[in-house]
Amino acid sequence: MSLLELKNVYKIYGDLHALDDVNLKVEKGEWLAIMGPSGSGKSTMMNIIGCMDKPSKGEVLLDGVNIAAESAKNLTNIRRDKIGLIFQQFHLVNYLTAVENVMLAQYYHSIPDEKEALEALERVGLADRAKHLPSQLSGGEQQRVCVARALINHPEIILADEPTGNLDDANEEIVVELFRKLHEEGTTLIVVTHDPEVAETAQRMVVLRNGKISKETVNENFTGHIRFH
Amino acid sequence: MTKRKMYFRMITASLMRRRSRMLVALLAIAIGATILSGLVTIYYDVPRQMGAQFRNYGANMILTAADGSFTKEDMDAGLAIVASADLVGATPFRYETVRIHEQPIMAAGTDMEAVKKTSPYWLIEGEWPAGSGEILVGENVAENLNLKIGSTVTLSFTPEADEGAGASENAGADDEVVLDNMIDFVVKGTLNTGGSEEDYVYIPMADLEELTGIAEEIDLAEVSISTSGDGLNAYMERINTQVPAVHARLVKRVTASETTVLSKLQALVLLVTVVVLALTMICVATTMTAVVTERRREIGLRKAIGASDASIIQEFMGEGMLLGGVGGILGSGLGFAFAQFVSVNVFSSTITLRPVLVPVTIIVSIVITGVACLLPIKSATKVDPALVLKGE
Amino acid sequence: MFFRMVFGTFVRQWKKMLMIAFTIALGASLATAMLSVMLDVGDKVNQELKAYGANITVVPKQSSVLDDLYEIEGGQSTGTYLREDELGKIKTIFWAFNIVDYAPFISARATLDDGSEVTVVGSWFNHHMDLPTGEQLDAGMNSLRSWWEIKEGAWLNEQTAENENMAMVGVELADKLDLHVGDPVHVIGTVQDATYTVAGIFDAGGDEDGQIFVPLDSAQALDDLDGCIDSIEVSALTTPDNELAQKAAKDPGSLSISQYETWYCTAYVSSICFQIQEVITDSVASAVRQVADSEGEILEKTELLMLLITILSMIGAALGICNLVTASVMERSSEIGLMKAIGAHNGAVTGLVLTEIIITAIIGGCVGFVVGAGFAQIIGQTVFSSSITIQPMVIPLVAVLVVLVTLIGSMPAVRMLLHLEPAEVLHGR
Repeated sequence: MSLLELKNVYKIYGDLHALDDVNLKVEKGEWLAIMGPSGSGKSTMMNIIGCMDKPSKGEVLLDGVNIAAESAKNLTNIRRDKIGLIFQQFHLVNYLTAVENVMLAQYYHSIPDEKEALEALERVGLADRAKHLPSQLSGGEQQRVCVARALINHPEIILADEPTGNLDDANEEIVVELFRKLHEEGTTLIVVTHDPEVAETAQRMVVLRNGKISKETVNENFTGHIRFH
Repeated sequence: MTKRKMYFRMITASLMRRRSRMLVALLAIAIGATILSGLVTIYYDVPRQMGAQFRNYGANMILTAADGSFTKEDMDAGLAIVASADLVGATPFRYETVRIHEQPIMAAGTDMEAVKKTSPYWLIEGEWPAGSGEILVGENVAENLNLKIGSTVTLSFTPEADEGAGASENAGADDEVVLDNMIDFVVKGTLNTGGSEEDYVYIPMADLEELTGIAEEIDLAEVSISTSGDGLNAYMERINTQVPAVHARLVKRVTASETTVLSKLQALVLLVTVVVLALTMICVATTMTAVVTERRREIGLRKAIGASDASIIQEFMGEGMLLGGVGGILGSGLGFAFAQFVSVNVFSSTITLRPVLVPVTIIVSIVITGVACLLPIKSATKVDPALVLKGE
Repeated sequence: MFFRMVFGTFVRQWKKMLMIAFTIALGASLATAMLSVMLDVGDKVNQELKAYGANITVVPKQSSVLDDLYEIEGGQSTGTYLREDELGKIKTIFWAFNIVDYAPFISARATLDDGSEVTVVGSWFNHHMDLPTGEQLDAGMNSLRSWWEIKEGAWLNEQTAENENMAMVGVELADKLDLHVGDPVHVIGTVQDATYTVAGIFDAGGDEDGQIFVPLDSAQALDDLDGCIDSIEVSALTTPDNELAQKAAKDPGSLSISQYETWYCTAYVSSICFQIQEVITDSVASAVRQVADSEGEILEKTELLMLLITILSMIGAALGICNLVTASVMERSSEIGLMKAIGAHNGAVTGLVLTEIIITAIIGGCVGFVVGAGFAQIIGQTVFSSSITIQPMVIPLVAVLVVLVTLIGSMPAVRMLLHLEPAEVLHGR
C-alpha cells in the first residue's frame, strides 16, 4: 500500500477546476517534486496533502485513512502527527528563539524536550544559533530552523512549499542537502517548487498544468545532490 | 521539560520579547484599572470627604437643657455617645445680658477654639481672642458703640438681687444699690457673619462665669457631627434617651439640606464613575482586540504545525490574562495614588486604602482582558491556516 | 486617485476602520460627557445648594442693630423699613439673572386670645411676578425654606385668592394651641385683629416653630404698615470669593477702575450685595456667611473633583485612542511597503495614512460627540433632574483633542513606516 494516494481528486471553486481528476501515488521513503506554473493547482494540492484543505470530490488516503472524510479537528491531529510543514516564508514565531520554535512543534505534538530540539538544530547545522531570535538569523538559517521544526516529530511526510523560493543559491544548496540526508534516513519528501533545479534533484517529478498532471518523469540518475545549470 | 513549563516559557517569551507591543496593551489595561480603582475609591470616599466640607455650614445638632439648665458635664456626657471620628466639634454657649457704656448688649460666653470648629464661616477682622480678658465683638455692636480693635471695653453685669434671706425687706427699706460686677476686656476682633451673631459680643466662658458669679451653667451647645441622615438621627435619639439632662435637636436647615445635596453629589460621582468605567473598559477591550487580531498569522502558523483550537485559545488567553493581572496590579496602585492625589488636592486630607479594592480591580482587569481576547482569538482560530500562511 | 485610494481603504478595510472610529467615538463621547458635566456642575450644584436658603439678607440701614438690641429688652421696632414697591428692582440689577429666589419679610408682634404673645411673620409663599424683562418668576418661602417639614396640610398657595386669610403655623405653637389644618387662629395686632385659617403646620427645627407665617399684606395690616418690609432674603448664584472680592467687600472704593469693573461684573456675593444696595433705598445687603462661604467652598471642591476626574478620563481616552491607532497603522506595513516599492514617496504615504486616520477620527468624533452629549444629559437628568447645557466651547475642545490625540497616536507608526524598507516587508518578515 502506498503511503499517500490521491484518487480522482477534484477541487472546484465555482467554475474554476483548481484540481481536475488528479491521481497520484506516493510510496514510503520516496522523494517527490511537484512542479508547475502559477495557478496550476500546486498550492491547492499542497494544502490538501497537508491536511489544511479538503477536496471537493475524490479520496485522499494517507496511511490508509481517507483524510477527505475527516473532521477539521481530526485533520489537525493528523497533520500534527504525520506531516512536517516547511513554508516559503519560513513562518517562525518571531518572539521565540530558534530552539523554542522547534520545541513549539513538540509542544503541540507531545512533550517539549529541549535536548531533542537542540539535536534537531544540530542536524541542520544551527547548534550555535539555538538561542537566537528569527530576526537575528539569515533567511537560510531561518529556513533550516523550519526544517528542524518539520522533522522534530518524525513525521511520515515532510511537505515543503517552495522551500527555496526566498533563498540564494548557497542556502538553496544547504537546504537541498538537508533533504537528501532526510531522504537517506527514509523520510518521505514532497517538495512543491517551480524551480527546475530543485525539482530535478528529486527521484520523481510530476508537472501540474490546469489542475491536471500533465507530465510525470522519473529521475534516472538520482543522486540527491543539486546540479546548477 | 513538561508541557506546563513550555507553556509559561512561551507566554513569558511573548510578553518579554514583544515588549513594545505588550507595553501598549499593558498601558491600556493599567489605565483602565487605574480609572476603576481610582474612581471607586473616590466614590466611596466622597460622602466622608464632602460630609466634612458640609461641616462648613456649621453645627447640625443643638443641645439644650431638657429642663431648666444643664452643665458642661452633661454636655460631655452627651458628646461621649458620638464616635470621636464623627465629632467635628462642640461649642458650649451661655448668654447673659450685660452692659457696655450703659447699653444693654447680649454677651455670649463660649470656648473660642471650639467655635472655630463648629462655625468655620465666622469671618473675623483682627484676631480671635486667645485668652482671658479678650473679647470678640459683633460687627453691628462694634459699629454702634464705636468699638475699635485694640481698644478696651468694660462689661458690667448686674447680679440678680439676692432672693435669699430678707432681700425683699432690703429693697423696700432703702435704696441700697446692688453693685455691678465689672471686667475690662481688650477688643481683639470684630465678627462678620451676616446673621444675628453680629449683634452679640463673645467672651471666654471663664470670664463670663467670673462676671456673673455663676459657674458651670450652659444655655446651649452647638455640635457639629460629620454624619448625615439616619446616622445623625440615631445619635440624637441616643443622646436624648441616655442623657436625660440634655435635649438634642437637629438643625433642620443644615441637616435636611445636607442630605439632599450630598446624595446628589454622590449620585453624580456614581454616575460619572459608571460612564467613565464603561467607556474605559470598552476602550481596553478594543485595544486587546486589536492586539490579538494583529497576530492572526501567528495563530494560523500554530494551527499549521498542529495546534488544536483549544490549546491556541489557552495560550492566548493565558497571555491576555497575565497581562490583565499585571495591569490590574499596576492599576490598583496607580488608582490609589490618583485617589490620594485627588483627596489631598481637593479635600486636603488623606484616604486609607480599601484592601478589598485591590483584588476586585485585578479580577475585573483579568476578566475584561480575557473577554476582550476571547472573541478575536475564537474568530482567528476559525481561519484556514493555509490562507493565512499563503497570503502576502 | 488619492481619494480613490482613501475611499478604497474604507471600502475594503471597513471593519478595521470601524473599530478605530468606534474607539475614537468612545474617547470623544467620554471627553464630551465629562467636559459638559464638569463645565456645568458648578451651576448645578449651586442650584442644589439653594436648599440651604438665602445667602444674602437685606435690612434697612441703621435699623438692624437697634432693632435686635431693643427686642432683647422687649421694646418696639424703631420704625425704619424697606419699601415693598422696590422689591421688583432686585430683578433689574446687573446680575439679575443670578437671583434665583427672594422674599420679603415683615414681623408683627401680636397677641393670641389666651393673652400670650406671638410673632406673626408676613412673607411671600409662591409669589408670582411678571418682570419688566418679560420673564416670570415664582419666588418666596416655598423654595427659600425648603428644609421645612410640612407636618400637616400643605404649603400655603398664595396664587389662589381664597387663601388670603390662610396661615402656616409652627409645630410648637400648633401643639400648644392644639391647632390642626382648617382650624381658625385669632390674633390681635396693634392696629387690627385678624382670624386666619391654618393651611399647614410645619417643623422648621428652630425658632420659627413658634411663629405664624401669613401672606405679606395680612401681616402688614396687623400693624398698619402697608408697603413696609423688615428684611429681604435673597438667594443668588454666586462665584466663590477671591482676594479681589474680599478687598471689595470691605470697601469698593479702594479698587482701581479696572478692578472695580471686574468685581462689579463678576457674580461675587459682595458685588451682588452692592448692586442690591444700589436699587433698594437705604438698605444694607450683607452676605449670610454660613451659607455664602460654605457654598463657595463646596462648589470649589466639587468643581476641582470633577476636573481631576475629567483629566483622568481624558488621559485614559487619549491613551486608548493612541494605542489603537498605532496598532492599526503598523498592521498595514506590508501594504505600505508595497506602495513604497512601486514608487510612492514618504510624503505621499504619510499623507494617505494620515488622511484616512483623520477622516476616521472626524466621523468617530462626531458620533462620539452626539453620544457624549447624550451621556451628559443622562447624568444631568438622573442626578439633578435638569438638562446639562452643552457649552459651545466643548465642541472645539473635543475636536482639538480628538485630532491631536489621533495625530500623536499615528506618530510612532508613521515614523516606523517611513523607515520601512520595501524589500524587507515584501519578503515577509
